[in-house]
Amino acid sequence: MKNGRFPYARILPVLPSVLVFTAFFAVPLAYFFIISFWRVRAFQLRPDATLAQYEAVFLDYSGPLIFTLGMALAIGLTTTLIAFAFAFFCRFRAYRFGTALIFVTLLALFGGYLTKIYMWKTILGSAGILNSALLAIGLIDNPITALLYNPVAVVITLVHYTLPLAVLPIYGSLKGIDDIPLEAARDLGASRMRIFADIIVPQCRVGILSAFSLSFIFAAGDYVTPLMVGGPSSSMIGLFIQNQFGTRLNSPLGSAMSFVVIGCCVVIILTVAAALFAVTRRRD
Amino acid sequence: MTAHVELRQISKQYGAVRAVLPTDLDIQKGEFLAILGPSGCGKTTLLRMIGGFVMPSGGTITLEGQDVTRLKPEARPTNMVFQGYGLFPHMTVAQNVGYGLRLARVPDEERKRRVQEALSLVHLGDFGPRSIDQMSGGQRQRVALARALVMQPKVLLLDEPLAALDLKLRKAMQEEFRRIHSATGGTFIFVTHDQEEAMSLANRICVMEGGRIVQSGSPQDIYLRPQSRFISRFIGEANFFRGQRKDGKVTLENGLSFADAGKDAEIDCVVRPENMGIRLNESETLPADFDLQIVSTVEEVVFLGPYTHYKLATQNGERIIVEVRDQGQNRCAHPGAKALIGWRSRDHTVLTE
Ligand SMILES: Nc1ncnc2c1ncn2[C@@H]1O[C@H](COP(=O)(O)OP(=O)(O)O)[C@@H](O)[C@H]1O
Ligand SMILES: [Mg+2]
Repeated sequence: MKNGRFPYARILPVLPSVLVFTAFFAVPLAYFFIISFWRVRAFQLRPDATLAQYEAVFLDYSGPLIFTLGMALAIGLTTTLIAFAFAFFCRFRAYRFGTALIFVTLLALFGGYLTKIYMWKTILGSAGILNSALLAIGLIDNPITALLYNPVAVVITLVHYTLPLAVLPIYGSLKGIDDIPLEAARDLGASRMRIFADIIVPQCRVGILSAFSLSFIFAAGDYVTPLMVGGPSSSMIGLFIQNQFGTRLNSPLGSAMSFVVIGCCVVIILTVAAALFAVTRRRD
Repeated sequence: MTAHVELRQISKQYGAVRAVLPTDLDIQKGEFLAILGPSGCGKTTLLRMIGGFVMPSGGTITLEGQDVTRLKPEARPTNMVFQGYGLFPHMTVAQNVGYGLRLARVPDEERKRRVQEALSLVHLGDFGPRSIDQMSGGQRQRVALARALVMQPKVLLLDEPLAALDLKLRKAMQEEFRRIHSATGGTFIFVTHDQEEAMSLANRICVMEGGRIVQSGSPQDIYLRPQSRFISRFIGEANFFRGQRKDGKVTLENGLSFADAGKDAEIDCVVRPENMGIRLNESETLPADFDLQIVSTVEEVVFLGPYTHYKLATQNGERIIVEVRDQGQNRCAHPGAKALIGWRSRDHTVLTE
C-alpha cells in the first residue's frame, strides 16, 4: 500500500478464485439479467429495454410463484426446526455420542439427489413399503394412493434432502456456545426455558439463519422433486422456468422469472432474519 | 449460635473416584474463607456442592439454618464467580450484570441503580454499554464479580477467581477483593491452589488434600503450626530434618538433639527458611538463643532482591535453605565454603504425620 500503489502482492493469491467466480457466476448472472429486458421475435433474441417480461411473470405466473414461495417457506421452516432439535440434542443431550451422530448425518449426504427422490417414491407409492406394510398388518384393505403425488410428498422429500445441510451450521454454532455461561445463568436464577431463550438461541442466530436460507433457497429453485413426487397440482416455478429455456425457447421470460424468484427469496430471507433478531433481541 | 453455612458429612463420589470424603465445615457470617489445595484435591467439587451444581453423594448443607442440600442452584441464595468467568458474550456489560435482577423481576429503575452501584464497586462505572469482547481479562473478572455481587448473595463462591490473570493484575485484584469484602461485609468462600493468594486474602484457610480438609485455621496458624508434612511443604518453603523421638528426647539424623514431649516416633523437625540464621565467617557467632547449631557446606547463593537464599547441605546430605534479609553482601560466600547455621528450638515444629 506504500505510495498509494495497488497492492498486487495481496491480490495475486485470491486472483484465481476471483476469476472463476466472475466467469462462472457473475458474468452469466449479468447476462441473464440483461436479456430479461429483451424480447424474442420469430425465435430470435432481440435487444430491447422493456419490462414486458416482468409484466408477464406477474400476470401469468403469480399463482405458481406464490405456491413455490409458500412451499419453500414451509420446507425451510420445517427443516430448520427439525435440524435445530436434532443439533440441540447432539450438543446438549447426547453426551459423548453427539459428534458420532453428526458424523452419521454427514453420511446421509452421500445418497444422491435422485436416489432420495426414488426412495420416497418407493416408500410412499401405491405398491410402496408403507402401503405394503399397512396392507400386511390389515389396517387397510386397498393401497392409499393419496400418499404420493401431492405437495406434502414434495415437502417430505425436500425436508429429508436438505436436513443434513441444515444441521451442520446449527450444530456448528451450538458447538461454539460455552458451558460456563449456561451454568452462570442457572446460578443467577434462570430456568431451563429462560436459558434456552436468553442464552442459547441468541448465540446461534447466524447458524439458524444459514440453515433456513440453505433449505429455503434449495426448495425454491428445485423443479425435479415436484415433477417426480408432486403430481400435476404442485408444479413449482422452477419447472416453468425450465420450460421457458427449454421447449419454449423464451429465455428473456425465463430470465425475468428467475430474477423475480431471486428477488422474492432475498426479501423473504431478510424478513425471516429481521423477525428472528426482533424476537431474540435483548431488552435493557 | 449456629454457623451461617454448615456442611455435615458432605461427600461426593464419581464412580470409583472419591472426589470429596465426608467433610464437616462451619462457615461464619462475614468470613472470607479460602479452600486451598493442589489440583485435583476436590476443592472445586466442594465449592460446587455449596452452590448446588454438584449433588452430594451424602451429607447435608444448611444455610442460615435452612437445609439446602437438595435445592437447585437457581433456587439457592448463593452466587458464584466461575473459573473462566462465564460471561454472556452476546450481552453488554450492563446486561450481564443486570441479568439476574431481570430474572428476579426487579423493577427497571431499581435494577439500573443496582447495576450501576455494582459496576462502580468494581471500578467499571463507565463500562456498562461496552460489549464483553471489548473488555480485558482483568475487566472481565470484575464484570463476573459485579454480576454475582449485584444479587446480594448470602454466600459468594469464587472458583480460582484470579488464576487466569498475570501476576501484577492478580496482586491488584487481591487488593480489590479485600476492599470489596469489607465494603459488602458478605460471606466469601474462594477456592485456590495458590498459597500466597490464600494467605493474603482469607481470614481462615482450609487446606485440602485427597478429598478431605486436613487443617483449618488462620493464615498464621497454618503457616506457623502446620499439622503435617504435606501442609508444611505446600505452604511456603520449609526445611525438614529427619529424626527419632524416644523418651521425650528428639535426636536428629544430623546429630542435633533437643527435648520434646510426645510418643516415641519417627519425626520431622520443620524450620522455615526465614527462621534460620547463618554465619559465614568463623569469627562470627550466631545469637545466643539460637540453641540448635550445625556446620554445613554452601552449595548455591541466590540473590532475590530484598533477601538472599543460601542453599546448603549438611554432612549427612540434608538440603537446607536459609533466607537472610540482606542484599547479597555475602555473595562472596562461594559454593564449597563452610557455614554455621542454626535456629531457635521455639521456631521449629515437630511433625509425626
Ligand atoms: N464430573 C466429574 N466426573 C468425574 N470425575 C470428576 C468430575 N469432577 C471432578 N472429578 C474428579 O474429582 C477429583 C476432584 O476434582 P476437583 O474438585 O475439580 O479438584 P480441584 O478443583 O481441587 O482441582 C478429581 O480427581 C477429578 O478428576
Ligand atoms: Mg478446580
